[in-house]
Parts: sequence; structure tokens; C-alpha cells
Amino acid sequence: MEYIAIVLAPASLLAILTGTVAGVVIGAMPGLTATMAVGLLVPFTYTMDPVLGLMLLGGIYAGAMYGGSIPAILLNTPGTPAAVATALEGYPMTRQGRGRLALKVSVVGSFMGGMLSALVLLMFAPLLAKQALAFGPAETFLLALMGLAGIVSIADEDTSLIKALLAGVLGMIIAVIGTDAMSGGLRYTFGSINLIDGIDFMPALIGLFSMIQMLDIAGQRHETTIDASILEKAQKSEPMPKGIARYMALGSGTGTVVGVLPGEGATIAAFLSYNFAKRIAGVKAKFGTGAPEGIAASEAGNNGCVGGSLVPTLTLGIPGNSVAAALMGAFIIHGMIPGPDLFAVHADKTYPFIYSLFIANVVFLIVGISVAPYLARIALIPPAIMVPVISAFAVLGSYALNQSVFDVYLMIGFAFFGLILKKIGYSLEALILGLILGPIAEGGFSQGMIIGKGSPAIFFESNIAKVMWVIILGLLTPPLVAHVRRMLRR
Amino acid sequence: MTRNTLDRLVLAGFIGLAVLLYVSTADYPGIAQKTSAKYVRFLALSFGILSAAQLLLSLRRQVPDETLDLFGRAGRFFGLLAGLVAFAVAFEPLGFFIPAAVFIPAVAVLLGYRNPLIIGASTAGVLAAVWLIFVQVLSVNLPGPGF
Repeated sequence: MEYIAIVLAPASLLAILTGTVAGVVIGAMPGLTATMAVGLLVPFTYTMDPVLGLMLLGGIYAGAMYGGSIPAILLNTPGTPAAVATALEGYPMTRQGRGRLALKVSVVGSFMGGMLSALVLLMFAPLLAKQALAFGPAETFLLALMGLAGIVSIADEDTSLIKALLAGVLGMIIAVIGTDAMSGGLRYTFGSINLIDGIDFMPALIGLFSMIQMLDIAGQRHETTIDASILEKAQKSEPMPKGIARYMALGSGTGTVVGVLPGEGATIAAFLSYNFAKRIAGVKAKFGTGAPEGIAASEAGNNGCVGGSLVPTLTLGIPGNSVAAALMGAFIIHGMIPGPDLFAVHADKTYPFIYSLFIANVVFLIVGISVAPYLARIALIPPAIMVPVISAFAVLGSYALNQSVFDVYLMIGFAFFGLILKKIGYSLEALILGLILGPIAEGGFSQGMIIGKGSPAIFFESNIAKVMWVIILGLLTPPLVAHVRRMLRR
Repeated sequence: MTRNTLDRLVLAGFIGLAVLLYVSTADYPGIAQKTSAKYVRFLALSFGILSAAQLLLSLRRQVPDETLDLFGRAGRFFGLLAGLVAFAVAFEPLGFFIPAAVFIPAVAVLLGYRNPLIIGASTAGVLAAVWLIFVQVLSVNLPGPGF
């Protein structure tokens, strides 16, 4: 009750409202993602009350996941990659004059997915966190490897398995820069005092997920023009189709499970949910020509990821996806290290944050039902205005956390080299995850080696370690098999 | 430059980095030899082996190569990049507001936008929002002249 009272305080409600509305607006702007918004704003919450700052960011996460569906439905321009599946059914519905129903299904589906995943987070995260108490250094090291193995499992034709692994290890190598916790000696600082504390992952995150998109948009050879004439077309009002709740429940469950798996993002959740719905509905639902069932499943799926992705993030310190990684940064800068302590020592901040996700879902439900058609026009903001504005915020955000201009240069460097790596097929999600997991892995490895008196056998001894190896192999095997199959086919 | 050429150059660089990283661990002092040095060697070996494997695959693969459009419209891309560096250089002596007041309209014009009213309004809106939210409400300490 005490935690619920914190969430219902006027300042908290204002933070959730502001964050969620901002999230919906950002999500509705093509090119801007939830990772980018959370990553950009994390440094600014540094001076805020931690609970309010986290609630604001949680609201942005939930709001942005939903917001992407609005231009996807009305303009065939997904605001976020996770809304691509929504556009497949939403835009044909708008063209048929059924846009209002598509928007309604989208917001209710997102609401259901968000609520279920927040409930799972509330119920299971503390239980999982308790299990984490049994983890020693060896298990901590394996946990970090598990996080990397998770992101590798998303490797596809564009991001090969080896390249995803390479990006993850590269991130871990970058994390080695700075002071060695074991000996106190400096490593790879090249005499620069700016590198003594190592490379902060926030400038890297802003560079790799915000600035990189701005550089990409700036260099685009063909400007994409959005046909907004359809916004003038009259859209009829319809009741919710019968049996639609079944598809929302399917998407919510799929999204939550996918979200819990490290490395699996909202885009995968949305497409998986969409495909499941397509299989269940059969031919009569007419997928591809405007089936509300597809919108219900994919939107519930991508919002289901919100709470799901926070389960491993808050309990084990392994971000479920890149937005969760940015949120993890917010916890860390407020002195709250993800793990069992979040649910014991910092319970007065963690539980209100989790409860705030329920309110955020209610906020975007209201926003979505009342003003969604007007928000589609946000997608029409010219990129030439959006790029310098976001870039200025990226500079400010990189500077604000450590009050360091060096961090701004780091952000620019990560954006530039990140873009080159991205263009030749490296996974930037794996790179940032390696950067975050590097210090965790090194701490676990070094302490494990001391306890094991120099023998690596310690990483295989305990039952938990054995189970973790099985999970790591389980995560690596399917993409490895797929990779070998592809090679044989060639 | 073609995609394959760049890919292979990057992988060769990665192999070089892995070798340098491995060799550098010999200089780790005392206790770090038994702990951190082993960890860094593990990373260096993993990185080197993976890079070599990928390079080998790339050399063996018979796929048609393609010219890589790395930066798109280079003028706009590098213009934005130069603008960012200039912004960062000016940040410490001039603070956020003065460089931002130049950066936002300059980049908007660079990217082909020509409506002075919208550019002016956007710039003023962003600066006002930053001043109000970050300086007044959140008390973020920005360098340079105060307002």
C-alpha cells in the first residue's frame, strides 16, 4: 500500500503522464525509437528524484511502444520498427475507411500486452531476484555470457552469427579500458585522465542508438515523402470485432515471454505474435488485406515486451533488449545496481517504478482513444528539423551525466564508427550489451579465478553453473544450426 | 569501396587488435596476471579466432560484391558530423545555448530546409524548453554563460 501511495502522489502521476505522452509522441515520429528516447533522457533524470526519474523513463518506454502504431495505421509509416507488423493490417483498414477501428484495436491490444507484462514483472521478478542471491562470482560470469548468447540468437541474414558475437566481444574489450579493479593499475588509457574511470556506456548508447540514426537520415539519398491525403478521408466508427480478445491474449503472452529472453526485442515479439495469429485465424481472417486480429496480436506483442524485458534487467542485470539496457543505465546512475538488492534495499523505489507501468498503460489507453488520429501528423515533421533538434539533445545528454565534453566526443565517435559497423552487418545491440556486461563478466571471472586458485574448473562445478551452460548452449545452438544450414545451401 | 573490401579490412584490423591486446597482458602487474590478464587473454583469443573465422568465410564465399554507399550524401553527412564536432568544441567556452542557436538552423539549412519561420520557431522552442526544463526545473549544470 505504501508503494501504491507513492505512485498515486501528484508528482509521480505528473512524471508518468509526462513520460507516457512524450513516449507516444516520440514513438509516433518515424526514425525515433524508444531506445533513443530513453537513452537521450537518462542523463537528465540524474538530478531528479530517482523514483520520479524512473517513472518518467518507464512511461516513455511504454508510450513509445504504443505510439509507433499510430502513423503505421494511418500513414503506412511505422513510427518504430516494432510497428511494422501493425502497418501490414492497419493501413489497408485505413484505406477501407476503418482506421478508427484499427486505432482502437491497436490501443486496447497495447494496453492488454502492457498490463499482462507488468503483472508478470511484479509477480516473478522478486522470485527470480531471490534465486540470484545464490549466485557466486562464477555464476555471475556465466550470467554475462548468457546475456551475450541471448543477443546472438537474433543473428539473421544481415547480422551473421559470428559478427554478432564479434560485436559483443568488442563491447567487452572496450569495457576493459580504465582502472583494473583487481590491481588498481590503469589499462589502455593512453595517459588520458578522461579514460581513468573507463568508457561510460551512456554516451555509447546515445551515439549508437540516437546519433547514428540522425547521421543516417542526414545522408539519405532519397527523401521519403509521406502521403497524408488519407488523413482527410472519413473513417467510420465500429464496435470491437468479436473474439478479438483471444488474439490480444495471444500477443500479450508471446510478447511477455519474448521480452524476458535476453536480446529478443519488441520487433521480434510483434512479428511472432502476428504470425501466430495468422496461423490460428486461418484464411477467413484475410490477413494482409486489413485484419484487426493481426493488429491486436502484434500490438499486444510489442507492448508485452515492456514488462518482460525488465524481468532479467532488474533481477539479474541482463538487459532484455536495448531499451531495457538504457533503463538499466538509469538505475545505475541513481546508485541502484540491478539484482536482489533492488527488491530489498531499494524496494521503496523499485516497486513504485513497477506500479507506475500500470498507470502508464492506462495513460496511453486514454491518449490513444481520445487523440490518436491527430498524433499521426507528428510523422509529418520534416527530417531537416528533427535531425538538428535531436542532435542538439544528443550533445546535451552526453555531456550532462558526467559534465564532460570528452563524453560528447565519445558519443560522436561511437555514432560514426557504429554506422560503419552497422553497414557491414555488425549488431550494435550486441556491442552495447558487451559494453554493459563487460565489467560484470570481468568481476565474476577475476573473483572466480581467485576462489578457484587459478583453475577455470570453478565455472563448471556448481549445479547452477551447469544449468547456465545448458541455457547458453541452448541459446547458441539454433542460430548456429541455421548458420551452418545457410552455408550448406550456398 | 566495396562491401567485401571494407569488411575484410575491418576484420584484419580486428585480428591486429586481438594480437595487440593479447601481447599487452604480459605487462599486467602482480595479482592482475592471475585474474584480469587471463580475462583479457580470453577476450583477445575469442576476438582473434572469431575475426579469423569470419575473414576466412568472407574470402571463401563466392557472392557478388557491391559498392557500399557508406555515407549517402557525403556533404550532408560530413556537414552534420563537422557541426557536431564544432558544437562539442564550443560547448565548454560558450555553453549550450549559443552553439545550439547556431547549430540547429545551420544543420536545418544544410539538410535543405528553407522556411526561416519554422527554423526560427523550432530553434527558439528547443532553447526555451531546455532552459525551462533542464536549467530551471532539473537544475542541470551547463557550462558557459548563464541566463
